[in-house]
Amino acid sequence: MTEEERDNGLESLFRSELEDNELVAGSDLTGRIMRRLERREFFRFNLTRFNIWYVTAAAAGLIAGGMLLLSSPGSGAGSFAPRQDLPEKVAVLTDANAENKVTQTVETDSAAVTDNRALIAAEEAVTAPVETPLHREAIIAPRSTAVEGIAVARTGEEMMSVAGPMVMAAIEPSVTSGCVPLNVRFRSNAGEGLTASWNFGDGGTSAVVNPDYIYDIPGTYRVTLEITDGRRRTSTAAVTIVVRDNPRAAFEIQQNESYGEGDMVLFMNLSEGAVHYLWDFGDGTFSTLDNPSYRYKREGRYDVKLLSYSADGCADSVTVNDIFTDRGLYLRFPNAFVPSRAGPTGGYYNQRTDEESQVFHPVASGVISYNLKIYSKAGMLVFECDDIAMGWDGYYKGELCSSGVYVWKVRATYRNGQSIIMAGDVTLINY
Amino acid sequence: MMSDQHIIAGCLRHNRKAQQMLWKQYSGYLLGVCMRYATDRPEAEDMLQEAFLRIYFNLGEYSGTGSFRGWLRRVTVNTAITYYHRNLRHKHHADIDEYVSTETGTAGFEEDFCTAEDLYRVLGELSPGYRMVFNLYTIEGYKHHEIAEMLGIDVNTSKSQYSRARAILRKKLEELARLKGKYT
Repeated sequence: MTEEERDNGLESLFRSELEDNELVAGSDLTGRIMRRLERREFFRFNLTRFNIWYVTAAAAGLIAGGMLLLSSPGSGAGSFAPRQDLPEKVAVLTDANAENKVTQTVETDSAAVTDNRALIAAEEAVTAPVETPLHREAIIAPRSTAVEGIAVARTGEEMMSVAGPMVMAAIEPSVTSGCVPLNVRFRSNAGEGLTASWNFGDGGTSAVVNPDYIYDIPGTYRVTLEITDGRRRTSTAAVTIVVRDNPRAAFEIQQNESYGEGDMVLFMNLSEGAVHYLWDFGDGTFSTLDNPSYRYKREGRYDVKLLSYSADGCADSVTVNDIFTDRGLYLRFPNAFVPSRAGPTGGYYNQRTDEESQVFHPVASGVISYNLKIYSKAGMLVFECDDIAMGWDGYYKGELCSSGVYVWKVRATYRNGQSIIMAGDVTLINY
Repeated sequence: MMSDQHIIAGCLRHNRKAQQMLWKQYSGYLLGVCMRYATDRPEAEDMLQEAFLRIYFNLGEYSGTGSFRGWLRRVTVNTAITYYHRNLRHKHHADIDEYVSTETGTAGFEEDFCTAEDLYRVLGELSPGYRMVFNLYTIEGYKHHEIAEMLGIDVNTSKSQYSRARAILRKKLEELARLKGKYT
């Protein structure tokens, strides 16, 4: 290809006509689809880049920061280690303490109890007069947080003489966020003479120690647990459960007409609240496009499935069974026929008389214009007609054609104006 | 009427109005570009949607020095290439028309014979590979080695597809001219 061919008439024709050609982007239909898409795209974008999620994260950060501030200064809220079966939950408990007013508040050491401080607290406790709750509680800290032999040894005796510490409520949810419907398994440290009272934040309550609870409405729920011991001392803890909405998967096929073989099918995605998609076209092919178009290799029954995923991983799906339900318009050809040996039949056929497939003809519905050409393998045009009521009888100029493969091509228009071009081959069986 | 700078600045601030202006001013032009790369109008519109979203979200990458229109077109053409790659496996059938011999005529074409619409149609009837090569070479003005790189094909493939595309287009246009001559 040489450079001067660019100046050929053909190239300059295309260049001059099309290079800067503007089309009207059908303000009505396309524009609307476009803008909706964009808006969704923007919204999506905001979700991940700017708005809601960042605000939520910032708010969560502020709350966490606030809680830290509340709990860290020296004389902060009491910090009790939980019972020893949950030693790793100390931090959680402190938070819960900071947030909820602990009845029977006991002022002791700070949240992050180090061994040193605990020891000091323990020593103070030992040296102080015995019966004040303050000291009694303080003694417990070293015992449960650390395995300091000395502390235990010093305080063990005193432990025996009192009714036991107030156990601080602790909640351990199986999940703290998820997609609706969300099943949360709550575990508490209640039990052994402690009663639990749950409020699930959506009006639901429970007195079960370790309840399972299903949220079926999206939202942010504050779950509180109040535990009461035998001496009517109570302690509360709270946890926030975020139940996310699912996206809604929906789609349409762009045209509601029947599709011919090889036509491009456009899928319009009408999902809401989703950012990722997975299309299953029903023939083993998948796409992750928002609005894919797809060409089926052959006609058939296809069940199309769309999975829509929201930014935080919630999903919804929709399946449309047999998307090409409109069978009103079709044109189909057989792939073999057996011409009559008795001489040319003229090609006119009807379904009843052509039981032996003596004429090559289509089954069709809704076709208003039609042109069929049949070529031999050598490329010779052996048959052409514009009448769909007439097929090929297998004869060319009065002579029966030889067995073999012939290529056909058809141009047709359906009554809805859709024009189609199909091509294929047919085997002439002559025996 | 907003200037390009205003539109770009507005879009970067996620200004709805600027975004609409961007669409209003350039969608027609870009649809014209997409139409050259598409089989038909719906496909072009599909492509345009992708291109437009890509433009919008990558506006920050426009350096502001070159022609904005040119940048838009380049992004759109790149989208068309991506689109082509993505849909490649669905389109490997070739129309029977493309098995014609590749004779090259010498006659020039009178421009008033063919409307832009006709040209889009004959382009649309080409197989996607031929159409890509023809567009990129003739209208976008890329060299064959550049095209080969963009499409992931051999340089010689690009050349041969280009010459076959020309032959097919020529044949189709001649047929069209004959038909028009007959009926007008």
